[in-house]
Amino acid sequence: MRFKTDLKNIRTLSKLAAALNSLEKIAWVRLDDDSVRFTVIPDTGSQVWATLSVDLIFDGYHIQSAEPNNTINLELPLGPLQRALKSATGSNHANLRLTKRDGVPMLSMTIHTMTKDAQQDARGGGQFGGGGGGAGRSYHHGQDFGNDPDPFGDAGDVFQQESLELSLKREREKVITQDIPVRVLHPDTVETIMQPKVREPDVHIQLPPLLQLKAISDRFTKLALTTATSNRGTGSQNPKLELSANMHGSLRLRLVTETLDITSVWENLDNPLLDQSQLTVPLAEHPSTIFEAAGPNKWATVRVDGKDWSRVLSVGRLDGRVIACFADDHALILYVYVPNFDDISSEDVITYYVSSYSS
Amino acid sequence: MVVLNFTLSEEGVAVFHDALACMFKFSDDVCIEARKDKLTLTALNISKSAYICFSFSSTRFFSQYLFEGNAQYRDRFFCQLYIKSLLSIFRSRQGSDQNRDGSAAIERCDVAIDDGPGKKSRLVARIASRNGITASHSLSFEIKAPTHAKFDEAEAVNHWNISSRTLRQVMDHFGPGIELLDINTDDDTRVVNFTCFTEKVQKRGAPVEEAVLKKPLHTNIAVEMDEFDDVQVQDKLHIIISVKDFRAILQHAQSTNGELVTRYSNPGRPMKLSYSRDGLLCEFVLMTVGEKDAISQKHKNSRQNAVSNARPELDSVSHRASSIVNNQKHQTQEAAPRPSAQQKTPSARQPHFDIRPKPIPPPPPPATNGSDSLFVSQGPDDDGLWEPVNPDEEDEEDNARLEWNTTAEPDTSSIRISSFLPRPAETQDPTADRLLSGLEPTQRLSDVCFTRISTNLLLWPC
Repeated sequence: MRFKTDLKNIRTLSKLAAALNSLEKIAWVRLDDDSVRFTVIPDTGSQVWATLSVDLIFDGYHIQSAEPNNTINLELPLGPLQRALKSATGSNHANLRLTKRDGVPMLSMTIHTMTKDAQQDARGGGQFGGGGGGAGRSYHHGQDFGNDPDPFGDAGDVFQQESLELSLKREREKVITQDIPVRVLHPDTVETIMQPKVREPDVHIQLPPLLQLKAISDRFTKLALTTATSNRGTGSQNPKLELSANMHGSLRLRLVTETLDITSVWENLDNPLLDQSQLTVPLAEHPSTIFEAAGPNKWATVRVDGKDWSRVLSVGRLDGRVIACFADDHALILYVYVPNFDDISSEDVITYYVSSYSS
Repeated sequence: MVVLNFTLSEEGVAVFHDALACMFKFSDDVCIEARKDKLTLTALNISKSAYICFSFSSTRFFSQYLFEGNAQYRDRFFCQLYIKSLLSIFRSRQGSDQNRDGSAAIERCDVAIDDGPGKKSRLVARIASRNGITASHSLSFEIKAPTHAKFDEAEAVNHWNISSRTLRQVMDHFGPGIELLDINTDDDTRVVNFTCFTEKVQKRGAPVEEAVLKKPLHTNIAVEMDEFDDVQVQDKLHIIISVKDFRAILQHAQSTNGELVTRYSNPGRPMKLSYSRDGLLCEFVLMTVGEKDAISQKHKNSRQNAVSNARPELDSVSHRASSIVNNQKHQTQEAAPRPSAQQKTPSARQPHFDIRPKPIPPPPPPATNGSDSLFVSQGPDDDGLWEPVNPDEEDEEDNARLEWNTTAEPDTSSIRISSFLPRPAETQDPTADRLLSGLEPTQRLSDVCFTRISTNLLLWPC
């Protein structure tokens, strides 16, 4: 069993790890010849299936195993992955390989990097008034851009300011090795974990910017929590938000408690057209067609847990287009399309099966 | 009678504050020792594995410095104070001078120490701000001789110097949850390796499968020797110190922009780190983990180990100190020998430094195989307290009643990629765990909610 690759688009992977980590600490990662899949299934709350093309995050990818399609299944703690990727962000070069240390399997990330001195100099140095200023060294970050074509690359790396002061020593590249503990999963173990199947949705709609949606959702959730604590009794239950959408470009977020009933509505959102070739039923018989015909007052509604929903919306950091599919009073699925600037046509999708509750 | 009088400039106050803040990471109290030529702040951590000494030059650091001495304290005066109370005096000013554009900035700070027969022992700090307000703080102190750590410069043949700033940034790459830092060199590749690791999880026998994933990142950082100013280290020598201590030192060191000088000999012997800035010399003596200690500690309960080893040391020192206080005789240098001088006897080889305890000394690290902070252990104590009324989980789901979950262990028969990791808040603060030890919930609140609403949860059809 071998796995070795260079990393690219480290920021994208790092954001994905952060988004998944907010839901669950450990992910199931399935690597094979064509794709990389991250799955998190929390005990309670929404589950995520993220399928990425190898090219999005890896370069010089080598994988080999006894399984068909060279599949390797790993259990991977997301916190350490995120921490390791943080070290790799802005590095000159980083690679990842599956190895063993003391008989324990590890995902070993080797990072060639410089210390980021200049930015910290400005902040840390000023504290003492005198003497703090520009004692930093001058570093050249730009030498090796070819190796890290990260489209999210921090502009700071490119336009690194050089200190005027001459330094006696040149900053040297440091080699950082971050070993992430992993468990290699037997194919039998993961065989039974199936991606959920949901019936054809009644409404599909592109969500407004997630930052906005999250800010309002979080405010609703907090409001619900404060009202819940003031009237005791409902305190132990997490607040539920009611989320509805129609086929006429509207999304409605609503919170109802004993004392208040608030609603936010977004309008003129896009209801993307369905591709007939992907459908199992004729377009005319598709539930969404029926919903559309029923007019703007025909809403598909689900209830979501406020706190869980907030964790789901943290996927907004990936800046992807998000399509929400509502099955009325049944299910809510979010498809997050990860932007890939190398390959516009690629379809890297993160699928959120949002846990929902009947009213 | 005023024994000591000194004045700090605005910048001096900030430096003084930073020094105290750094010490506070090691100890609750600080010993102030005043002589004609310098003012020394020293602290020793509770496990006596780290000693901190800041020396302020009387002529270069202070705007004014006058050590009067008296009959009782002719050559030096010493006292012990709570760092917290000193910090609170300086802290508030620091904040305001940043926020309010200098209007409330400190202009100067006069400190006087008053002591003598028939006098109240007081440290009086008078802080004058630019806006004309003068605040006076009066602190009581305890007369207590400082303890100094012995460090044999001649023995410490290994040494290296590096920019403290660079090293500080290197440390940023180490993740949370690590305890020990192994510094070693490789002459073949011309690098100095900084390796962080922890002994926590794999303590008893073969690790439980899930526990493997709980291990923190194992990080190694290779820094080329060329980046050091002076490396003279025995090849392949591994020296191990506490990450927490090292971080605290670097945090302070980077503010000085200076070179960090490190000297050490062998595992199990002290290591000295020092750096200086204008008129201030900062020295740290850390006990390194002996090879034997590291191994034996792996198999022992860390808490018992730390406590039992640290305890006798504590007593002997406090006894010594109190005897000095009780005597209250005229203390010439002979009468009050520095403790370091006493310990040059070969029998007390490394008296101030016991083997390294865990970085957080009092509470035991919770993340052993036995106690899993996410799934609360069913220890004998907890059992009685939280015995659920209806221990059968299946019933619970059927009735959808709000009950405590009895199953402390995750259901291994059902396959899940679930988290066996504790929530961060729970792991990172073992103190909190301990404080609540009598009142630990048997499950997370979210789980409680889950059982309650499980009847109307829409499950995904598979």
